[in-house]
Amino acid sequence: MQNINLHNYQDFLLRYIDEELNLRETEDLLAFVALHPAVGEELESLQSTKLEIESIACPSKALLYKNIFPVTLEPTTIVYPNKQKLFKKEKEKAPVILLRWWAVGAAAIFIFIVARNGMFNGEAGNGLSKNNVAKNNSVKPVSSPVNNPINNISTPNDTIVNTGSIVSTNVKEDQQNITTNPLERSVLRDVAYHTIQNASTVAASEAEHTIPSYNGSIIDIKPTVIAEITAAPIALNESAETEEPNETIETIDTEAASSNRSVMVGAFEIDKDKFRGLFRKANALFKNKENNKNEK
Amino acid sequence: MTEKDYNESVLLYADNVYRFIVKNLRHNEDAEDILQSAFEKLWIHKDNVEPSKAKSYLFTVAYHLLIDHTRKAKRISLQESFENDTQTAYQENKALKKVLHDALATLNETQRSLVLLKDYEGYSYEEIGEITKLTTDQVRVYLHRARLKLRNYLISPQQVL
Repeated sequence: MQNINLHNYQDFLLRYIDEELNLRETEDLLAFVALHPAVGEELESLQSTKLEIESIACPSKALLYKNIFPVTLEPTTIVYPNKQKLFKKEKEKAPVILLRWWAVGAAAIFIFIVARNGMFNGEAGNGLSKNNVAKNNSVKPVSSPVNNPINNISTPNDTIVNTGSIVSTNVKEDQQNITTNPLERSVLRDVAYHTIQNASTVAASEAEHTIPSYNGSIIDIKPTVIAEITAAPIALNESAETEEPNETIETIDTEAASSNRSVMVGAFEIDKDKFRGLFRKANALFKNKENNKNEK
Repeated sequence: MTEKDYNESVLLYADNVYRFIVKNLRHNEDAEDILQSAFEKLWIHKDNVEPSKAKSYLFTVAYHLLIDHTRKAKRISLQESFENDTQTAYQENKALKKVLHDALATLNETQRSLVLLKDYEGYSYEEIGEITKLTTDQVRVYLHRARLKLRNYLISPQQVL
C-alpha cells in the first residue's frame, strides 16, 4: 500500500472523487487533507467537476418496446345485407346423359350392323319370297274375281303376293285358310260388308292402293290398302249362290295395318314406334345440349 | 435474453443511455436516433446478450455509435453553422450547470464519455474500460486528465468574472 504524500496526493484526490478508493485509503486521505488545508481546497475544486446526477427522460422510450402491447382486433358482427344474392343453387346434372349417349351410339351401331346384314341377307331373301309366292300360287289357285266374288274378299292376295313381301304372304296364307271354311266365309263376308259400308263413307280416292315395295335389304312398307271400293255397297244377306258380278270387294287387312307399325329389317322385325321414340330421345338430347351451351 | 428481458432493459436503461448520449452530443434528435440504433442492435443480438450484461452492452454500442456520429459530423463543413440553426441545445436550468457543461464540451469525445460514464452511471474503471475498449490504466489517466481540465476551466478568470 502506497502512503499519501505531497507528491502523490492528487492521484488520491482524483480516485477519491471517482470513488475508487477503498475504506482504508479513504481514511488515510481524509487524515492527510485534515493536516493540509491547501489540499482540502484543491479537493473542493475537483469535486466541483463532478457531474450531478440528473434525470432525463427519453422522449421516444415507448418506441423501443417490442410487442409489449399485443394488437388484437375485437370481433365485430357485420352483416352483409345482400347475402341472399350470393347464394348459388347448383344445377341438377343429368349423369344419365352420358349413358344415353352410349345407348344412342350403341343403337346406331346396332342398326347399322343389322342393316348391313339385312342387305346381304335380303338378296338371298328375294329368292325365298319368290319361292313362297310361287308355292302359294301353286297350292291355291286364285279364281277370277268376277266369277267368285266371295273369293274376292280373300284374294287381294295377288297384289300382295306380287310385292314379294314375306309379311304379306303370311297374311295372305292366313286369310286363305280362313276363307276355306264356308261358315267362316259367311261371317267374314258380313264383317267385310259392314267394314265396306263404313269405308264407303270415306272418299274412295283416299283409299290408296299401294303395293309394299321391297328395296333390297330394307322393306319400305307404304300404307297398305284398307279397302277399295269399285261399286256401291251390296247387301250380303243374300245367298252365296247369287252372283254379283259388278262388285269388287276387298277385305280390310287389319293385320296388315298392325304390321305397318313394324318394319322388317333383314330377318328382324322392329317396331316403328320404338324407332320413333329413339329418335325423339336423340333429338331431345341434342336440343338439351344446345340449350346448355346457350345458357353457358 | 428474452423479449421480456429486452423490454425490461428498455424500462431500466433507456433513460440512462439517452442521458449519456444527449450529454455527449447536446442534440436531442441525434441522441434519440443513436438510442434507437443501440436498442435495435440489442434486439438483433438479444440471443447472444445475457440480461445482466444488457446495460454495459447498451452503453458500449451507444458509445461507439456516438464516436462514429461525432467523427461523421466533423467531416461536414457546415455542421457548426447547422448546429446553430437546427440543433436543439440541451437546456440547462442553472448557471453553474451550464458552465460545467460548457467545460464538458471542451473535452474530447473519449474524455467526455469517460466523465459521463463515471459520474452518471457510476461505472468502475474496469467497466468503463470494457465499454470504451480501453485498459483500466488508460481509463484512469484519461479520466484524471479530464477532471483537471474541467477544474482549470471552472477556475479560469473568464469563468470567475
